[in-house]
Amino acid sequence: MSLNPLLPFLMAGDPSLEALSALLAEAKTLGLEAIELGLPHSDPIADGPVLQAAAHRAIGRGATPLKVLESLAGITQSPDIILFTYFNPLLQIGVPRLLRLLAGTPVKALLVVDLPFGEEPGFEADLRAAGYPMVPLLTPTTSLARARHILSDRPDPGVSRSFAQRFAYVVARLGVTGTGQQVDLGPISARVQQLQAISERPLAVGFGLSDPRSLAAIRALGATPVIGSALVQELADGQNLHETLSLRMVNDR
Amino acid sequence: MTAGFALPSRFGAQSLGGCYAPETLMQPLLDLETAFQAALADPAFLLTLKGELRHFVGRPTPLTPAPRLASKLGLKALFLKREDLTHTGAHKINNALAQALLAQRMGKTEIIAETGAGQHGVATAAACARLGLGCTVYMGVTDMARQAPNVARMRLFGAKVVPVEAGQGTLKEAVNEALRAWAGTCDRAHYILGSALGPHPFPTLVRSFQTVIGEEARAQVLEQSGALPEVVLACAGGGSNGLGLLVPFLRDELRRVAVEAGGHGAALGEHAARLDGGRMGVLHGCKTLLLQDEHGHTAETASISAGLDYPALGPELAALVLDGAVEVRRASDDEALSGARQLCKAEGILPALESSHALALLPALAAEGVATVLLGLSGRGDKDLSTYQSRLGI
Repeated sequence: MSLNPLLPFLMAGDPSLEALSALLAEAKTLGLEAIELGLPHSDPIADGPVLQAAAHRAIGRGATPLKVLESLAGITQSPDIILFTYFNPLLQIGVPRLLRLLAGTPVKALLVVDLPFGEEPGFEADLRAAGYPMVPLLTPTTSLARARHILSDRPDPGVSRSFAQRFAYVVARLGVTGTGQQVDLGPISARVQQLQAISERPLAVGFGLSDPRSLAAIRALGATPVIGSALVQELADGQNLHETLSLRMVNDR
Repeated sequence: MTAGFALPSRFGAQSLGGCYAPETLMQPLLDLETAFQAALADPAFLLTLKGELRHFVGRPTPLTPAPRLASKLGLKALFLKREDLTHTGAHKINNALAQALLAQRMGKTEIIAETGAGQHGVATAAACARLGLGCTVYMGVTDMARQAPNVARMRLFGAKVVPVEAGQGTLKEAVNEALRAWAGTCDRAHYILGSALGPHPFPTLVRSFQTVIGEEARAQVLEQSGALPEVVLACAGGGSNGLGLLVPFLRDELRRVAVEAGGHGAALGEHAARLDGGRMGVLHGCKTLLLQDEHGHTAETASISAGLDYPALGPELAALVLDGAVEVRRASDDEALSGARQLCKAEGILPALESSHALALLPALAAEGVATVLLGLSGRGDKDLSTYQSRLGI
């Protein structure tokens, strides 16, 4: 299995909802296998200032959860989408309607940041049965015993499935999304090796990573680096996806 | 049921509450529950807490009969539970001090808190100063402007007050920022949440440290009048004051009433009355009644009182309301101001704007034929002087 070199994060509706399908097509052309797509939320408690500001800009421009999901309907030129969201918008939509909205979109998995495993078992089971597994999140505060528990509660659907449906998200440091703090790669390396010893699943590592050297260091561990806030900021500043990602994808290819 | 917790994390027939927290905070929340249970089972901790509540906070607080206001309103008797007389001037200190002691017991060296009206921030800053803990308080910029005396008090106690500029700059944004800060420092910091909300075990923790209000009040009213009142009445923002007063009366045959902020209008965004237009939702780690738009985005709120200006009702109080044990009423900004003025003139007591919402309901209760009321005077109004001056033209 070849390593997925990069997992980028985009905020739906920022810079604009109209630009989303073109961004996804460009991401596909760049060879990206999967992409995280943020559903803008009013109170993103796990996000730092950059993603919070992007979410508020998107909401201000009318990027409601329904409009985002409707705009994804019928899109085929796109990497697999991992829908990154908070629980409340999904609760308000309700499972039956959510499943109708997701059908025919490139969404392949959900990452619900404020939904720990076991909190809404019925919701998770319904979505998993319909083909939308929840991404397991493992943070520096997650003990190895708890990590095993999470990985079995949100099981690996098997090697025949895509990266988006199989990977576990390893949070690189304490805190919220965003750059600004220097990430210490030592503990991350130990953590990734520890998790690789207990699971066959692909791992993605994110939070605070943006410079090509850190991204390459994650790849050297056999894991996929996530780039979020830095990318969202660069796109908001007018750079295009190719400019901002190509440098960050190529160094070990 | 959240994996790993020992205490029930859900309330009522609709299973409100729960623990909708980012994974980074799950182990700290599990550890907090363990420490909380161990502390409650430790006689030495309970003795220390009791001593601090007595000698630092000033408990028990008095239950003051208010005969002149009662007769003006047409009530037979009115009793005020005087949380305004605690050190730092509001019920918030009961929980802040207890959680600070708990944090110290857990070996934490730093404290994080959010604050709306500033009363919880001041209480936490004072408790931290007393125990020698570092303290950082997150406060919305709108609230910092309208509760400026409390900002100064926190700073005098050595706390760092961090302005939160996002959104409306009120309590909701302060909680967002405090949760984010805790995720970054949970290896050394404890987050002292001030309301009976947030992810499990916070609602249970806060309620259990606040029921001292109702336990004292119940014994005092029986001692003073030989009977329980017909109505026990408290204002409710998140619910720490409401639960603190009302829960010890749950088994009694009487009406338990919580008053929400009616703000300046009935439309979404003009008030903080969650029973009118609030729907089941998840905010700040718990499922409860929430003012939100159809997309699940939190709605804006409005209230003259910073402490009630919050879009969600705490899950345990919301469950008690939905299950019929507690009634909810609302009082507008103007009604609260007039309630405050009446208490000032009749009894020489200046109430906080939050507590004034409970006072504002008294005429309606009297009109319904209620004769005896016990009211939770949750805090004092010094912090609100500038609002009273401008709105009452004094």
